[in-house]
Formats: sequence, C-alpha cells, structure tokens
Amino acid sequence: MAVVATPEAQARVERLERIWTERPGLLGWLTTTDHKRIGILYFFTTLAFFAAGGIEALLIRTQLLGPNGQVLDPAAFDQVMSMHGVTMIFLFAVPISTGAFGNYLLPLMIGARDMAFPRLNALSYWLFLCSGLFMYVGLISGNGPGAGWFNYVPLALKAYSPGPGIDYYALGLIFTGISTTATAINFIVTIFKMRAPGMSLNRMPLFCFAFLAVSFALVFALPALSTALIFLELDRLLGFHFYDPVNGGNTILWQHLFWIFGHPEVYIIILPAFGIATSIIPTFTRRRMVAFPLVALAEILVAFIGFGVWAHHMFAVGLSTITDIYFAAASLIIVVPSAIQLFAWITTLVTGRPTFKTPLLWIVGFIVLFVIGGLSGIMFAAIPFDQQLTDTYFVVAHFHYVIFGAAVFPILGGMYYWFPKVTGRMYYERIGQASFWLSFVGMNLTFFPMHIVGLLGMPRRQYTYPSGLGWTGYNLVESIGAYLLAAGLIMVVANLAVSRFRGARVGNDPWGGDTLEWATTSPPPPYNYAVIPKVSSPYAMWDREDREQDALRLAQGRQVLEQGHETPVTTVLDADWDEIVDMPSDSPWPITFALATSGIFAMLITQHFVTAAAFCGLALLVLAAWHNREPQEA
Amino acid sequence: MSDLTRSMEATGAGAAARVEQQRRALPNGVWGMALLIATEAALFGTMLASYYYLRFQTSQWPPPGIARPEVLAPAILTGILVATTVPMFLAARAAGRGHARAAMWLLLVAALVQGGYLGVQIHLFLSDLHKFSPGQTAYGSVYFTILFLHHVHVFVGIALVLWLAGRLIGGLTNYRLTATRAIAFYWYFVNAMAILVVLTQLYPSL
Amino acid sequence: MLCPIRPGDRPAAAPSPPPDSPGALKRTRGPGSAWRRVGWIAPAGAALLLTGCGQQSTLDPRSEPTREIANLWWAMLAASAIVFFGAAFLIFLSWLRRRKEGWPLLGKGDGLSTGLVVGFGIVIPIACLIVLFVFANLDVTKATEAPAQSTTSMTVEVTGRQWFWDVRYPGTGAVTANEIHIPVRTRVNLVARTGDVIHSFWVPQLNRKIDMIPGRTNRILLYADRPGRYRGQCAEFCGFQHAHMAMYVFADPPARFRAWLANAARPSRPALNAQQRRGQQVFLSNACANCHTIAGTPARGGIGPDLTHLQTRTTLAALTIPNRKGWLAGWVLDPQHIKPGNKMPGLNLTGPDFQALLAYLETLR
Ligand code: HEA
Ligand code: HEA
Ligand code: HEC
Ligand code: CUA
Ligand SMILES: [Cu+2]
Repeated sequence: MAVVATPEAQARVERLERIWTERPGLLGWLTTTDHKRIGILYFFTTLAFFAAGGIEALLIRTQLLGPNGQVLDPAAFDQVMSMHGVTMIFLFAVPISTGAFGNYLLPLMIGARDMAFPRLNALSYWLFLCSGLFMYVGLISGNGPGAGWFNYVPLALKAYSPGPGIDYYALGLIFTGISTTATAINFIVTIFKMRAPGMSLNRMPLFCFAFLAVSFALVFALPALSTALIFLELDRLLGFHFYDPVNGGNTILWQHLFWIFGHPEVYIIILPAFGIATSIIPTFTRRRMVAFPLVALAEILVAFIGFGVWAHHMFAVGLSTITDIYFAAASLIIVVPSAIQLFAWITTLVTGRPTFKTPLLWIVGFIVLFVIGGLSGIMFAAIPFDQQLTDTYFVVAHFHYVIFGAAVFPILGGMYYWFPKVTGRMYYERIGQASFWLSFVGMNLTFFPMHIVGLLGMPRRQYTYPSGLGWTGYNLVESIGAYLLAAGLIMVVANLAVSRFRGARVGNDPWGGDTLEWATTSPPPPYNYAVIPKVSSPYAMWDREDREQDALRLAQGRQVLEQGHETPVTTVLDADWDEIVDMPSDSPWPITFALATSGIFAMLITQHFVTAAAFCGLALLVLAAWHNREPQEA
Repeated sequence: MSDLTRSMEATGAGAAARVEQQRRALPNGVWGMALLIATEAALFGTMLASYYYLRFQTSQWPPPGIARPEVLAPAILTGILVATTVPMFLAARAAGRGHARAAMWLLLVAALVQGGYLGVQIHLFLSDLHKFSPGQTAYGSVYFTILFLHHVHVFVGIALVLWLAGRLIGGLTNYRLTATRAIAFYWYFVNAMAILVVLTQLYPSL
Repeated sequence: MLCPIRPGDRPAAAPSPPPDSPGALKRTRGPGSAWRRVGWIAPAGAALLLTGCGQQSTLDPRSEPTREIANLWWAMLAASAIVFFGAAFLIFLSWLRRRKEGWPLLGKGDGLSTGLVVGFGIVIPIACLIVLFVFANLDVTKATEAPAQSTTSMTVEVTGRQWFWDVRYPGTGAVTANEIHIPVRTRVNLVARTGDVIHSFWVPQLNRKIDMIPGRTNRILLYADRPGRYRGQCAEFCGFQHAHMAMYVFADPPARFRAWLANAARPSRPALNAQQRRGQQVFLSNACANCHTIAGTPARGGIGPDLTHLQTRTTLAALTIPNRKGWLAGWVLDPQHIKPGNKMPGLNLTGPDFQALLAYLETLR
C-alpha cells in the first residue's frame, strides 16, 4: 500500500515484497505465474494479433475499394478473409477480454492475491500463444484456411479444399480451445473461492458477474466446437464420413455443431465488454449502477439463453418452419436482458453527474453502436427478412456494429480507464478524446454503408464485384472509413505507448474508482494487497471506513499473511474465511508443457501420427514432473 | 482468525484429515475437477447427440452389410467398470479419515479392474475394426470415434490413479487428500459416461 | 451518380420502371397492407437507399413475397429509428444535465430509476417483440414458404455447381445454364439442388434465398409480376469464384416463353458448311466433349454447362462476360485468365482449328 503508517507495517510490506517478487529479466517472464504479468503478456500478444487481423481487414477493404479490384486473387482473398474472421474472434476479441482484462483485473477486483490456479493460468497463455502462431504459420506459408470463419462443409472437406489450410484452422482452434477452457475454469474457481472475506456474491462487482457468465458459457460452448473440429479432421486426415452425405454423413451436422458453439461465442465476446462498461459508468457518473441485481441477472441470462438460439444462423437452409419459428422466438427473447442492461447504463448516465472523459466517451459510443447493431440483430430474428438478407453485407454490418462497436469500443475504453492503474501514469486526455472521435467516425463510415449495399443485394465474401449494381460508391466510402478507423486505433496505441514513458505520474486512485483495484498502488505490487481488504459492498472503494480499517490492520499485522505465498480461500456464497492456502510460485513447467503440446499439433498437421503419439507421452511426463513438487514442500 | 487452518502446513495424515473436516467449502482442486468434468460431459453430450442426429437422418442403421453389435460382452464389461465406483469411493473416504495405506490399496484394486476392462475393450475394439471400418460409412465413423473417446478417458483415469497411489506411499498430505477426492470424482464421471456410451453403442440391438 | 448503367445492361424488351418502393406499398394486398400505415417512411428511405439500378436490390421488389419482405423492412426500420433516437435522446439529456443529479422534473429516487429500467428494458421491448414476432414470423413467413405443389403450374430444376447454374425443365428436355426463362405472372416451382458444395439460390427481386445442400432437395416459389430481367447471385460462399456465380431470370410474356422453351427443347442443328463440321470435330475430338453436352451430337459431358443453345444466352461463365464473339474466343482460349480457378482448363487450340471451333459454337442457337 502507498501510505505505510508505522515501521512494523513497513517491515511487513518489505517481507511480502521479498516473498512475492519473481525472478527478474526474461526468465522471470517465461516462468511467471503472476496473474498481472500474464495479463500483460496476453495484452501485447492479442494486440499484435489485432494488428494482423486489422491489416487483413484493410487488405479486404482495399481489394473491394472499387469494382474488379486487382489487389488480391481469389485464393489470397479467401485466406485473408477467413483469417481476418478467425484472428479477430479467436485470437483477439476473446483472449484480450478474458486473457488480458480478466487476468489482470479479476483477482484485484475480488481482493485476491492471485488466480486459483496460477500455473494453469500461465499454461493458458503459452498454449494460446503457440496456437496463434500455429495458425499463422499456415497463412504465411500460403496455406491459410480459405473457407470462411465458419468453414462450412463440404467446401472444407479434402475433396474441395485439398491443401493443409483447413487443417491449420481445425487443429489450431482445437488448440486454442484447450487454452480458453483452462482460463474459463480458472476464472470460475477464482470467483467462487478466492473472493476477499466479506465479499458475498451479492457484493461482487458486476464486472465479475460478467466474467462468471462468460466462463460458464465457454465451459459449455467450446466442446461443441471441438466435436465439430474433431469430426472434420477425422474426415480430412483419416477418411471418415461424418460430413459426407454419400456415405451416410450429413453436412448440416457441421452447421448445427458450429453454431451451437458459435452463437454463445458472440455473447462470450460481448459480455466482458458489458462488464467493462458497468465498471466505467459508475466511476464517471459518481453514482451507483441503477438496478444492480437486474443487471447481474441479465448478464447471467444472456449467457444462458445464448445457448438456445443457434439455428437463427441457418434460416436459409430450409429447416422445418416450426424449427425456424422456435429459434426466431428465442432470438427475440434474448433481446430483453440486453435491453435491461442498456437502459440500466443509460439511466445511470442520465441520473448521475457524468464527466465525459475519454473512457466514458468510448462507453457512450459503445451504447450508441450497440443499439444500432442490436436492432439490426432483431431484424434478423424476423425469419423472412433474414432469409432475404442472410449472407449479404447487411449481416457484415450487423456483426461489426455489435462486435467492433459493442465489444471492442469498451475494450479500448477499458485500456484508457485502467492505464493509470497498470502503469502508474496518465495518458494524454486531448489525444485520447481525438482518438475516440476519429475511431467513432471511421467506424460508422466503414460499417454503416454495409447495411445499404446489403439491401442492394451485395453478397458477402466476394473477392470482387461488378460495377452497375449501385454498390460502387458505398464500397468506396467503406474503404475510406476503414483507413480512418485504422488511423484512430493507431492513435490509441500511440497515445498509450508514449504516455507509458512520458505521461504524468498518478496516485493509486486517479478517477475515484468504485472497485477494489484502486485501493492498491499503481502499478500493483506482486502480492496485490498487503492486507486482505475488508469488503462490505460492491463499491468497496467508496466505503472509506473499510479502507481506513485496512491501513489499521496493516499496522497491527492483522490479515497480512506474510509467511509465504499465502492467500485466503473463502466459502462460495458468503465468502467467509475458510482456509489459508499457499500459492505455487513461478514455474518452468507450463511453458514446457505448452511446447510439448505444440509438438503434438505440428506432427498432426504434417501427418506424422506416430511421432504425435510420442509427443503425447512426452506431455504426460511433463505433467508428472510438474506435479512432482507439492505446494507445502515449497 | 488465529484459529484459521493453514492447509499447506497439513503435511501429516492426521493434520490433513483435520483440515479436511474443518473445511466448509469444497477445496479448489475439487472445484477445478468438477468444472473439467462439466466441459468433458458437454463434449460427450455433443458427440452422443451427433450419433443420434446421424442415425435419424438415415433410414437403415447400422447400414446394410454391417451386423448389429453384440450386447453381452460390452454390457458385462461396463457393469464391471461401474463397480469400481465402490473402491474409488472407499479410497476417498479412507483418505478423508487419514488412512493413507488403506486408500492406496483401494486405489490399486480399482486400477487393476479398470486396467483389465481397458485391455478387453481394446481387444473388442480391434476385432470390430476387422469387421467394419470407420472409413466405410458415417455409422462406423461415429461408432469408433465415441468408443475411442471413452477409452482415452479410461486410460487417463488409470494413469491418474496409479500416479496417486504412488504418491500415497509417501503418506498423506492435504494436497494428496484433495487429489484423491478429485480423482475419485473424475472416476464417478467416467463410469457414468461408460453407461451412456455403452447404451449408445448397443442402441441398434436394444 | 453512384450507378452508371452500362449499355446493354437492360434488355430493350423490359425497361424496368423507375424504382418506387412507396408504389410497391400501395400495390400491397392482403396481410402486407397492415404495413401501409408506415408507408410514410418509405419515400425518405427510398431516396437514400435506391440508387437507380434495382437490378439486384431487395428494395425494388417484383413479386408478392419480396414486396412483403420489403414492407417488413421499412416497418422495422421505422420502429428501430424510434427506438434509436429515443435512446440517443436520453444520452444527449445526460450530457445536457451533466452537472445536475437525478431526473429532469422527476428528481432523484432510485426506485424511480429502477422502474424506468423495468419499463424501457422489459415491458416496452417485450411488447414490440411480440408484435414483430406475430407479423414477421407467423404472417409474412407464409409468403416465403415453399409453394404447395398444386399451386404451381410448372417446375424448373436448378443445380448449383462450382461456379455456374445448371437449369432443366423437366418433361420438356430443355436444358440451359445461368439464364433461367420463366413465363411472367406464373407460379413456378423451383427445385434447388447442388452438384458439389453448398450454394444458395437468390434472386432478390423475386424471392428470398434458398440454400442448395448436398443430399437435400429444397423448393421455393419463383414468380415475377412483370416482364423483365432479374439478376441473381449465389449467396453461400462456395470457393474461389463465388463472386462470379451470378444468373439472370428472364420473365417473358407467355408467347415469347413458349417459343423459347420449344427451341431450348430441340437438339442442336446439324453443322452446315465444311468449317462448321470441322469445328464440331474439333469439339468432339478434344476434351470439350468430356465436359460439355451438345444435344444431337455425341458430346455428353456433365461437368460444364450445356452448350446446346449457347448462342441463346446473353452472357458466358455465369455472367462473368458478355456472350459476344470476341469474348467467347477469349474464354475458350484462356478461361483461367477470365475466371481464375474455374473448372475449365484452357486447351491451347490455335489457327484454323480454333477458328472452326468458334464458327461451330456460333451455330449453337
Ligand atoms: C458481439 C457479438 C454479437 C451480439 C451481441 C449479437 C447480438 C444479436 N444478434 Fe448477432 N451476430 C453476430 C454477433 C453478435 N450478435 C455475428 C458475428 C454474426 C454473424 C456470424 C456470421 O455469419 O459470420 C451474427 C449474426 C446474427 C444472426 C444471423 C444472421 C444471418 O447470418 O442470417 C442473427 C439472426 O437472428 C443475429 C441476431 C442477433 C440478436 C437478436 C442479437 C441480440 O442479442 C441483440 C440485443 C440488443 C439489442 C436489441 C439492442 C439494445 C436494446 C434496445 C435498444 C432495447 C430496445 C429494443 C426494443 C424495443 C425491441 N445475429
Ligand atoms: C472482433 C471481430 C472483428 C473485428 C474487430 C473486425 C474488424 C474489421 N473488419 Fe471484420 N469480420 C469479422 C470480425 C471482425 N472484424 C468476422 C468474424 C468476419 C466474417 C469473416 C467471414 O466471413 O468468414 C469479418 C468480415 C469482414 C468483412 C467482410 C469480408 C467478406 O465478407 O468478404 C469486412 C469487409 O469490409 C471486414 C472489415 C473489417 C474492418 C475494416 C475492420 C476494422 O475495424 C479493423 C480495424 C483494425 C485495425 C486497422 C488494426 C489497428 C491497428 C493496431 C491496433 C495496431 C497497433 C498495434 C501494434 C502495432 C502492435 N470484416
Ligand atoms: C474439364 C472440363 C472442361 C473442359 C475440358 C472444357 N470445358 Fe468448357 N466449361 C467447363 C466448366 C466447368 C464451365 C463453367 C465455368 C464457369 O462458369 O465457372 C465451362 C464453360 C464453358 C463455356 C461457357 C458456357 C456458358 O454458357 O457460360 C463455353 C462456351 C465452353 N465452356 C466451351 C468449351 C470448349 C469449346 C471447350 C473445348 C475447347 C471446353 N469448354 C472444354 C468445363 C470444361
Ligand atoms: Cu455458389 Cu457461392
Ligand atoms: Cu447468433
């Protein structure tokens, strides 16, 4: 903590420092189990993938800038287009919100000293990194997947996609799936068991509710994708017939499995953004969230209902009318929880005293864009309209409004909001606001006209289009918008990059934030909190007396736990003290295991199945070594 | 809060057992296993669902030329495997009471039976492969894939049990106690799946 | 002008009238008329959205189903506009009152705020959604469902292939590709299948799209209520040339259609002069015949489009290029240059052989 009252308190803090500080230098980063460092690793990795996906997007837009574009040939376009989708969804949107924001902030917000399983956390990161690189090896070697991000069969089967491209896609996604599942499990246990004593579930910040919902959604959604991908690879590599109608297989099976995962996935993308919004709004309106319980409930409901709507992506398939109608109804029901949250935010804004600093600007922008994207989503839940406009640019417009507008904007706002916490410095406010307006204008220029070309009958996923159909002008505007958007985003990154070194230093709590993370120093120490904080409401930082209590306890040495990597474990609902556990410290095994796993996948894609099996054995050995040393022997 | 248990200090059987009894919530390790099981169950769920989806998209099941699976051997085997729920349960309880040795022996008994099960199953699997191949029709594909998935789970389970038994030779600790509970939990799941899998496998003959 | 109309884009036969979505609304009969109330927004929207050439526009409907869908769209747009500006206004309000706390007029009070969340967030949406559900999914869907067999007077079978459309008229022996002719104001039962991967049959002005899925047979109504040429395009990603998998539907006056069908059902005329006969030989002796069918000759290939009446088509390679002599020659010489990745190889024919081949292809009308 910043203010250390007494010498004995000073001594205790130094003790903690000694115990928790990890190896310095590169080795420290490779073996770290500190959720904050892992979060930072995730942040830079996902940002790099964002850049890659963005560059792909700009290639697409340049190709479509005018009719009969010559920038990319069909093969290249298909790969760029597919990898754009895959990168943005699987290597950027999900990992930056869970991996970066969740990892860094969740333990801080619940007053824990680390995640429930720190080494598993490290493993998630290394697996994620390897799988991302794995997929990009494909693209860079000219063998990117070329069947779109939902990769429909039979186009994706060997008969129509002979090269290894689709294998990079399928194996790569199974690979990331493992990493994401591990993260999700880690979050759930952390949220259930590691909350600071006193933080009963109803006193947990909404941010954490969002991540709880997301994690559960991931745990149950990813298996559907894994199944689909396993079947696909068996068909492709070993000549099975899951998807081949000639031999009793079925192509619609893929579509069902993919979308059973795919739709929950889109709420998995947006829920963390909701979480970020619900932590920024109270801070900048100086007011508690309106209808807190309703919002918490809505966050859970969105994730839950999201599992029942998948076939709204398949209205043109020709399923039975009853099926279509059921899924349309479900898609409409899911609007309600979104609407609840939306108006909770708006009402909080209207009834509070908002100060429109950069982070809040991004959130307001997010609300506006989410309404547009959401409303076009509702339109798709009108079956005939969907059957007319599915697979046109109207869909592309819808999901970029909800994904880029509603998921990425809060992430960018969050970057500004927590920047002082992570770096101890303040970004440049004016440039921050400028970057917002530039991105906001660019975003709308890019994606709004897509509604119109969609209505004018322009199908998606075309590498080129003829003139004379009324699409030309709009596409030009879209491309210009995309360049502006890119400029805006680079401005964001530049602003933060410069501020990291030049920005004015700030204290623990520059915003007067409402949640616990603002209680500790900026940047936080390896042990997060010298004293296990006292919590008696979801707005812990606004309970001044509690925070004074903390300082007092530190002086008296109560609830400091400075005898090892110690952290309290509490009961699930009421977060009563249950036990004190010893956290594993940094370990070389996670990265080793990740490398072994990469070996498996590398061998699979080159079809050396025996060697792959050998690597499986190796991986098991690594696991054994990993668990050879028990915590208490530390 | 002085009376709070520092679980990592429970390095003796007695201490570990005491921690176990004082605990009010499930230990993190067991929670982790529970969630792993949840996602594994979803994996089995989608696989089995796919089986029936494929089945009801085609008229003849199994397709012409492929005999219906015989019921007897798989049914008996599954019965035996499910029976190992008892020693696993007892092992967990023994550990909970601090009896390291007893727990270890119970685990070994379970592992023995499970190993036997796996052996015979692999034999059946191979002989099935001689009768019809997964590359023939979707029926074969889904049939062998699901069985393989299940056998892999059994294999992993056995590996865990043996590893744990090895650990318990060195006596009981809080860590090993949690591990015992978690692994027992895992086996309850595998056995439950065994029933669903065998019912699906034999479905054409039932 | 966003949309320069290329000469020859519109057939002289059916100059499509100026786009008039409001007009479309007035013509609306039956359930659709429920939307007339929101007709007012159409002109405004039309001004923004209709940039002249309605060739492939969903907002320039030419049949009952698409008209109902278009109306549904305008209605949803109107409702959405209200919702959007409502939300935007509240946000603007928060900016106006950024220094005061609580509601204008209503003051503070958390109970009140929660009430408003319940009202705006639960009650109103549910009301709107129920209305939408009943109209869209219980009423308009009927218009777009597959037609009952009895209600249609003829059937066309379209098979999607990478990357062209194979079109057959069962019972007549007529076969063509990429350019479908139907009699105007006639309910046609369109049977959609695929020869390889998933495609999607879509003529935006005439009906919603329907996927073409391996091992499935889908049906849809094809109906045009005035003569003309309607552009359609494959709407499900199907590989390299998904972008060049377009088609035309010609809605002809009955007499014209009957004439066309009669000709299409006939086998190709025998080659007349020596050069044409040589050309035919070239066609048959080269790989052409393995992939293309020309009725009345031994050429029975099933991989490419049927060429029996090639010259009756206005375009080549699924609307990639116009069907004129120069273009045809270019196509046969190097199809991969014109449509990269398509399934037809360039067979390097040259000199007299090639000229003869062209001369022969010229006769296929
Ligand atoms: C962040 C991701 C995200 C989110 C949040 C959503 C939200 C929604 N989506 Fe979207 N969707 C995608 C990502 C997302 N979608 C993607 C990626 C695709 C395309 C995949 C592909 O084909 O590549 C897609 C495609 C897609 C389709 C299929 C289109 C097609 O391919 O044919 C459908 C159909 O029903 C749909 C519906 C909805 C609905 C009903 C919502 C609802 O949740 C929206 C709820 C929100 C609001 C409604 C706005 C706020 C509320 C109010 C303003 C209250 C007032 C409202 C009323 C009074 C009614 N989406
Ligand atoms: C999170 C999801 C996400 C995001 C953020 C985006 C962002 C963008 N998308 Fe994407 N898009 C998808 C998900 C996403 N997209 C999906 C799922 C599809 C469907 C694919 C398919 O059909 O299979 C799709 C398809 C798609 C298409 C349709 C392709 C087609 O159908 O043919 C187009 C066309 O314009 C497009 C454009 C863009 C543009 C211009 C952006 C821009 O917003 C991008 C702007 C970003 C940048 C320019 C990067 C900024 C640079 C930095 C931050 C670098 C700084 C950092 C360092 C240097 C380290 N996208
Ligand atoms: C390997 C198969 C194959 C061979 C050999 C082949 N074609 Fe083709 N042909 C096709 C395919 C496939 C198409 C459709 C291409 C597309 O539109 O994507 C086509 C299209 C055409 C078309 C345009 C038809 C239309 O209406 O769009 C013509 C004309 C044609 N081929 C003539 C020939 C001639 C002449 C030869 C021999 C010199 C030949 N083809 C050899 C497969 C073949
Ligand atoms: Cu055929 Cu797209
Ligand atoms: Cu969806």
